Amino acid sequence: MRILTKTSLYYLLVSLLVFLIGGVSFYKIMQIEIYDEVDDQLYTDQVNILGYIRQHNKLPSVTSGISEAIIVREADEVHKGIEELSDTLIFSTYDDEFVPFRRLTFTAYQNGKPYEYTILKSLIDFSDLFESTMLAMGWIFLLLLVGMGVVNYAINKYSWRPFYDTLTKVKSYGLSQHKPLHLNSSSTTEFQELNQVLQAMTAKIHHDYLNLKEFTENASHEIQTPLAILNSKIELFMQSENLTQQQAKLLEEMYSSVSRLSRLNKSLILLTRIENREYKVQEPIPLHLVIQEQLEQLQEMASMHQLIVLPPQLEPTFILMNQGLAEMLVSNLLTNAIRHNHEGGTIQVSLSPQELCVENTGEALEVAPELLFARFMSVKDSSGSLGIGLALVKKVCEIYAMTPSYAYANGKHSLCIRFQQKAALA
Amino acid sequence: MKILLIEDEQALSSSILTYLHHEGYNCEAAASYREARLKASDYTYACVIVDLTLPDGNGLEIVRLLKENNPETGIIIISAKNALDDKVTGLDLGADDYMTKPFHLSELNARLRSLIRRRNFNGQKTIRAGKLEVFPEQAAVQVEETTLTLTKKEYDLLLFFISNQKRVLTKDSIAEHLWGDHVEGLDSLDFVYTHIKNLRRKIVEAGGEDYIQTVYGLGYKFSCS
Repeated sequence: MRILTKTSLYYLLVSLLVFLIGGVSFYKIMQIEIYDEVDDQLYTDQVNILGYIRQHNKLPSVTSGISEAIIVREADEVHKGIEELSDTLIFSTYDDEFVPFRRLTFTAYQNGKPYEYTILKSLIDFSDLFESTMLAMGWIFLLLLVGMGVVNYAINKYSWRPFYDTLTKVKSYGLSQHKPLHLNSSSTTEFQELNQVLQAMTAKIHHDYLNLKEFTENASHEIQTPLAILNSKIELFMQSENLTQQQAKLLEEMYSSVSRLSRLNKSLILLTRIENREYKVQEPIPLHLVIQEQLEQLQEMASMHQLIVLPPQLEPTFILMNQGLAEMLVSNLLTNAIRHNHEGGTIQVSLSPQELCVENTGEALEVAPELLFARFMSVKDSSGSLGIGLALVKKVCEIYAMTPSYAYANGKHSLCIRFQQKAALA
Repeated sequence: MKILLIEDEQALSSSILTYLHHEGYNCEAAASYREARLKASDYTYACVIVDLTLPDGNGLEIVRLLKENNPETGIIIISAKNALDDKVTGLDLGADDYMTKPFHLSELNARLRSLIRRRNFNGQKTIRAGKLEVFPEQAAVQVEETTLTLTKKEYDLLLFFISNQKRVLTKDSIAEHLWGDHVEGLDSLDFVYTHIKNLRRKIVEAGGEDYIQTVYGLGYKFSCS
């Protein structure tokens, strides 16, 4: 939920509460005031009637005063001497509904004879007043809402803009872009502070990242020469006569470990170089031809694993990328399909200007599919695999904005690479 | 056959020299750009093996220089940088081959032989090894007039063996020679065994001797004596 929506909701909640409490109190106060007023009027009539009787010693012939109705009748003995105020409902035939009335009942004496007076005053004005008050309050509430919307919109548009600006930039920031995070300055203190902190933080992280990367690169490169020496010395050693079987075995193991280490190191260097975008030369690569060529090269491998390479479905597709990387991408995908297969299995390659798919039979993955493209992720029985092939695939995909995906269904793995629309020129 | 090795890393240089001496080459070494330049301009070599990263200069300069003065000289670049760009530049300048460190000495030797063969320095059209006769131009092999039917891989394998006679070749180096970058993780070591078995069978069936011996724990060795 956006912060403005959130504050607006709170604001709305509080306003609603205020209006509710305010409305009830207002109603109560109005009620007290109006009753007070109506009662005053009723008492005024009573005083007038009593005064008239005292002055003229006869009953006044009025049927109404300030009040709406004055009713007089002879009181029976039981009810004499009363004086009470009450609310009552009287049915109005004109309105066809009950109308609330305030009623004052008292006893007046004329020549010692008690008469019961009932003075009635309609409260209809009061309910009208209540209704219009509530209506007014409703309008005020509505206006408040509209006002809040306008203010929020303005705040969103102007005051929060630097914040959303920063957010967008941070979202698209990546360490491997080799560009410092540049944020626009803001006149709001908090945002300005946020920007400064973010910039300082990313600068520090970027610096550390570069250091680490430099170290890895140097380490990988510097390891190459000692490895070459080690490799050549062991090879010479192997040529010496009179090696015992045990020595020969030891040498062989050393040699194969050194070889493995060299291959690993080469792959890591390659990975770093792709990451550094050192393969700048780009040209439209006929991917269908690259696939055909790689398939031919790997045909033997496939047949030695008793795999059937189904006729590939290749549409002519040209992708703007580096030749070497294109070959590596295809070769790694195919090698992967051969490696993680079973005897008598199949491999199916299909290529369209939208995507490249390699489908192969094989056991279901034991690892989570999202880890498939991670480095050193290899299934335990595939000895000799460095587990770096798909990491290279992913890296190539990253720099050319392609999307690799993986699915497993009906005993078939399928690895697809979706090309960005504009990259497909065919 | 005079070979010049330009390599600043002493230990590696001595390994290569030893291996190539055994192969019967007359091999000289230069450890710096200056020295290499002097030697390359003073003498004519059949082949030059050059490391690109030298302490006092770029090996590519030497490649350029050699191509200008002695276009006949075969050039193999060895580099610690597995840079595609360098490879392209090197080959564009006229280098014949490009190898990335670390490499197998047997591989370097095989490439050197192949280069010399292509340049035809010793005027021979065929290679003889025991009863075998290889015709590189046709990629054909004969055992006493009987032509062997070999697959491409078996032919490559045989040539690799013949280039490195009396040398122990490990399964690793054979696999890398045959499959290059695809070697990794494809159980290629078992396939090496299969290929060698087939190759041996074909040679013997055609009337040749079993030249390929298994060296316990290490690999294989080809010898005709």
